[in-house]
Amino acid sequence: MKKLDRLTVGGLACLAVLVVFALGSLVGAGGDPDAIVGPRLQPPGPGWWLGTDNLGRSVLPRVMEGVGTTLLLSSVAVLVTAAVSATFGIVAGYRGGYLNELVMRLVEVLYSFPAIVLAILVAAVLGPGQTAALASIVLVTIPLMTRLVRAAAVAVSQRDYVTSAVISGARLPRVLGRHVLPNVAGTIAVQGTYALSVGIAVEGGLSFLGFGVQPPQASLGVLIQQGGTYMIAAPWLILGPGVVLVAAILAINVVGDGLRDRLEPRETRSLT
Amino acid sequence: MRLLMWWSGRALSSAATLLGVSVLIFAAVRMMPGGFAETVLGPFATAEQEAELAARYGLDQPVLLQYGHWLAAVGGGDFGVSMISRQPVGAELLARLPITAELTVLAVAASALFGVPLGVLTAVRARPGGGGAAGRLLSGLGVSVPEFVLGSLVVFVFSRHALGLEVGSWVPLTQDPAANLATMVLPAAVLSVFAISVTARTTRDAVMGVLVEPYVTAAVGRGESPWFIVRHHILRNAATPVVTLLGTITAYLLGGALIVEHVFNLPGVGSYIVQAVGRRDYAVVQAGVLLAAAVFIVMNVLIDLLVGVLDPRLGVLAGRRS
Amino acid sequence: MSLLAVRNLVIDYAETRALDGADLDLARGETLGLVGESGSGKSTLGSAVGRLLPTTARRTEGEVLVAGEPVFDLPAREVRKLRKKHLGFVFQDPIASLDPTMRVGNQLRLVLGRGGDVRFHLGRVKLDDPRVLRAYPHQLSGGMAQRVAIAMAMATSPELLVADEPTAALDTQVREEVLNVVFSLAADAGTSILWLSHDLPAVARRCDQVAVMYGGRVVERGPAREVLGRPVHPYTAALAGSAPAAAGHGVRLEPVPGRPPVLTGPSPGCAFAPRCAFAEERCDHERPQPVLVREQEVLCHRAAELSEAETPREVTA
Repeated sequence: MKKLDRLTVGGLACLAVLVVFALGSLVGAGGDPDAIVGPRLQPPGPGWWLGTDNLGRSVLPRVMEGVGTTLLLSSVAVLVTAAVSATFGIVAGYRGGYLNELVMRLVEVLYSFPAIVLAILVAAVLGPGQTAALASIVLVTIPLMTRLVRAAAVAVSQRDYVTSAVISGARLPRVLGRHVLPNVAGTIAVQGTYALSVGIAVEGGLSFLGFGVQPPQASLGVLIQQGGTYMIAAPWLILGPGVVLVAAILAINVVGDGLRDRLEPRETRSLT
Repeated sequence: MRLLMWWSGRALSSAATLLGVSVLIFAAVRMMPGGFAETVLGPFATAEQEAELAARYGLDQPVLLQYGHWLAAVGGGDFGVSMISRQPVGAELLARLPITAELTVLAVAASALFGVPLGVLTAVRARPGGGGAAGRLLSGLGVSVPEFVLGSLVVFVFSRHALGLEVGSWVPLTQDPAANLATMVLPAAVLSVFAISVTARTTRDAVMGVLVEPYVTAAVGRGESPWFIVRHHILRNAATPVVTLLGTITAYLLGGALIVEHVFNLPGVGSYIVQAVGRRDYAVVQAGVLLAAAVFIVMNVLIDLLVGVLDPRLGVLAGRRS
Repeated sequence: MSLLAVRNLVIDYAETRALDGADLDLARGETLGLVGESGSGKSTLGSAVGRLLPTTARRTEGEVLVAGEPVFDLPAREVRKLRKKHLGFVFQDPIASLDPTMRVGNQLRLVLGRGGDVRFHLGRVKLDDPRVLRAYPHQLSGGMAQRVAIAMAMATSPELLVADEPTAALDTQVREEVLNVVFSLAADAGTSILWLSHDLPAVARRCDQVAVMYGGRVVERGPAREVLGRPVHPYTAALAGSAPAAAGHGVRLEPVPGRPPVLTGPSPGCAFAPRCAFAEERCDHERPQPVLVREQEVLCHRAAELSEAETPREVTA
């Protein structure tokens, strides 16, 4: 096993901190997110380390709750995406024919919508809320992952060991599960990582527009949207959740890059 | 001839996709909750008023017929009437389109102008084990800052220190180009950050893919200079993925424009859609979403045309496959 | 002074050692066939001559001198000058070594510069069909594409042409024609050839000198007739023995049972020892030094005794 490079380790560490942060809010660390602890719109100070909001609530526990909401929503959505994409991608790639044609058509249709536009359409149908955010992330991330899983499955299914498994009489689910799935797992892992960062951005954007997670529940998008109103007087209201949101997305992307470079190392050549 | 066949194949498949998109949007709009009669007429409407409304919008017909009417109307450029403003949606969209288009064009131009050179430069200087951590972090940061965070931040900073740039207002291009640019620079810049970063990353990957090709080694072996090799052998061969990306990016930017217009309070198509969803103005939502998807699909057809010209092998490959 | 001199060259990739102290000399106007199995380090040596190695490769030791210039220690600008003036390269995959998005005529014009006569240079490689100029590389046959690549490499009349298995990807019928073109052009221009090949009989027919590579070192080199006719190194003997004249040219070599080594560092002894029928105890842990036997230089502890026998095969260990 090759050692992970420093940047990837840093990304993983940052993610671990955020997860601890989110778990902390479950056991009440950082304080009650709904309790009024002091005067309104106070800059950071003792008692309220990230300042207070327009109701006098401490921002820190709200950010902690928000990280939890955002991470949980995105992770669940990406798991759904991974399951759906893996199933359809593998079957379409291995089987080919009409099924492949149909799956790729549907994927193509979904892929034609800009992410946030698709999310808005979903929110309009389902009504604003967590379900809409979840469904949006799933629909936004499905096309790319399905395509790439399918491509990987096509490549794998032409290899000799798959052919020999088929010839030796293995049943289809066994062939797909034992031979094809392990070989597309890398693709799923890398794309899942990227999908997670897309999911966080989509949840943020949708909630920011008011169509995602609804207050009083906190998510990073909700906090930034609410903070926007008092931004001039109290910039810490968006700085706290904003920095945390960017850190989360960046950390995940860095880990994804590290994962990809490891699974598919690249050759380089010098022009001199 | 083969190229022509390849092109027409791509166009046909795009048409099929567009049809799928229309079905999806139509279905979505019909599935939206809450009777819109109530939205339009208010809670105290009489049964006759509701029936009259349903007849006017064709709501009393079977769904398939409704779709037929809708498709025919949309195909003819008639996107229906806004249920809130009672104005034709098409005209309103057309009036707002220039703002969104200007934003998008500025951002695409910025990605081509800054993203492509940045990608080429970092690829040519790449060494095994990837670039420095700082460079990777910076390129990662560019794709990790969502527009609504960056936008909010920019609005905050520039509301305090204007620096001659306007925030939260808009001047039409036709009225005063200089003032228009002053109001558009910041939103366009916010929109560009992601596009530039993605373009740089894609260009870098594409160029690195070309760098290991034997014909590049052959050119190095002939003693050509790096700049000569980049100009004559690398740019064109690495162009396909980058050009293809510009299509995807245009779609992405349309979505980003929606947020940016909302944040900067610009009267473009994006902010129109955001308002419409809030007010359950179905006609506007369906038209706006359809427009975004159609622009993406048409962009991709155009890009396929371009790619077919750029890479002489494509037509042949397509011919062999069929 | 020889045109090309490789001195104790050691090249490492991330985890493997491609060259483990290779030595080679080539005089002006001479042709040298560099033979060995895949993985013996031929290609690395060929690329190293022009410093064309991928960036993952590292020169750990030794040097390469082309016309007296230390290739690995020159600044980038000087290396380019050296390649332009002294070196030409022809590669294994002819179509891939041409730019796929540029018509052949334009590529030639790019190489020849303004004053270049494209027709003349194509004529030199026996490509007289003017349609070639308007074709893209993928529309050419492998043989045609390789002629174009040869025309480009020979356009500047380099002093040294490095040809890395230029015919391996071609049909048997075209091989001879392409080799004829290469060797006659080189003879006219006084160009030396370093020909990397699997094709032992062809090398025997065309080259003045032969160098045999094994495990990242040149284990035997000298005049072609001597080396292939009266091999001293057991590996050369096996190669030459397994490529009988009856098999004709174009036969790939798979001579000795066992596999060539994959080195991760310096080989402690003779890299061939595990497959060698004549290996002694010291072969495993003592690196052989070059020994001059008759006209050839051999890396073998038992070179002297093996050369005394009529053929090494009959020596009992």
